[in-house]
Amino acid sequence: MKFRYLLAALPLAAAPLLAAAPATAADWAVDTAKSRLGFSGVQTGAPFQGGFGKWSAEIAFDPAHPEAGHAQVTIDLASARSGDPQRDGALPQTDWFNVKQFPEARFEATGFVAKGGNAYEAPGKLTIRGIAKDVVLPFTLEITGDKAEAKGHLNLVRTGFGVGQGVWATGEWVALDVGVDVDLVATKSGS
Amino acid sequence: MSRRTARNRSNPDRYDPVAIALHWVIGVGILTLIAMGLAMTHLALAPMTKFQLYQLHKSIGVTVLIAVLLRVPWRLTHRPPSLPTAMPPLERRAAEGAHGLLYALMLAIPLTGWALVSVSPFNLPTVLYGMVPWPHLPVLADLPNKAAVEPAVKFIHGKLAWVLAALVTLHAGAALRHHFVLRDGVLHRMLPFGRRQAQEPRPEEPRS
Repeated sequence: MKFRYLLAALPLAAAPLLAAAPATAADWAVDTAKSRLGFSGVQTGAPFQGGFGKWSAEIAFDPAHPEAGHAQVTIDLASARSGDPQRDGALPQTDWFNVKQFPEARFEATGFVAKGGNAYEAPGKLTIRGIAKDVVLPFTLEITGDKAEAKGHLNLVRTGFGVGQGVWATGEWVALDVGVDVDLVATKSGS
Repeated sequence: MSRRTARNRSNPDRYDPVAIALHWVIGVGILTLIAMGLAMTHLALAPMTKFQLYQLHKSIGVTVLIAVLLRVPWRLTHRPPSLPTAMPPLERRAAEGAHGLLYALMLAIPLTGWALVSVSPFNLPTVLYGMVPWPHLPVLADLPNKAAVEPAVKFIHGKLAWVLAALVTLHAGAALRHHFVLRDGVLHRMLPFGRRQAQEPRPEEPRS
């Protein structure tokens, strides 16, 4: 239900961006079913992996003009699953993602940087729990015809975004370092 | 106390199989929980071990609570076998008092434990044995001042556990005294694999 609203609101949110995009930037439709937006962490010394079930991405990217591209990824934080019912029950709560107050996380990249070969960087703004930080997402990109796959990894310190309050604000039980894994499969939708 | 209490028909000198099963599930559970509780609060454990001990302690604690909630109505509707007629009235009253206190603690300790989890600053959901979600106690989970309430609940839970440990020791000691010193067959009433006891004629006077 909430997600429908989110979907309906997305084009509205993206509209000014799209309007500002140069005509050369091709749009890519992300196939979320084939893609993965994952996260990893360490709880009491044991590594765990998880992923988000609901998210959406708007991407405009032209290999000839990476600097003109942009991307916006919106993540439904309540859809986080990590294979442990207790952890998954805790994640939406106020100490962690606090989804009642902050239902979504957002990554907004403006302008990509070619690093040679298939390597790129996406400098952008990541917002979690209402806290926005500048991050750089390094990724590799393989384009075959009108299909593309982008793979990237981002290391974050969760407390920088207030994820893990109170007794969780130290690394005693859950490590402060967390990883975000991005594996996007997209089709060029033309522009 | 219900008047329609049925006595174990197959063998009136013994508790019925349901009472015996619940008694031993709860007994083993309590001993395990006491050992775990001491380890959790007094040993320098690796965070992983400590975390898992706490989760398992909660799971076993809820299991014992459920067993106690089954046992109490069962005890009220199924009259236990009589105490030996030779038992002095003072000992009889002591036994009844100790059992009443045992029942009270068997209810109070898991309930305070549940309350403790509900007001814990960890705000962790309880998932029994990693599989079955178990709710927090209402009201307590939504208290605005959990940090102020938690130490008091922790104190009560811990102190009651010590009282229970002392009572369980007394209870087991009394059972062993009946068995080895008095040799009156009292222990056999609750042993899972009963041998028929006919050491004394069945008394007329039922335990209340």
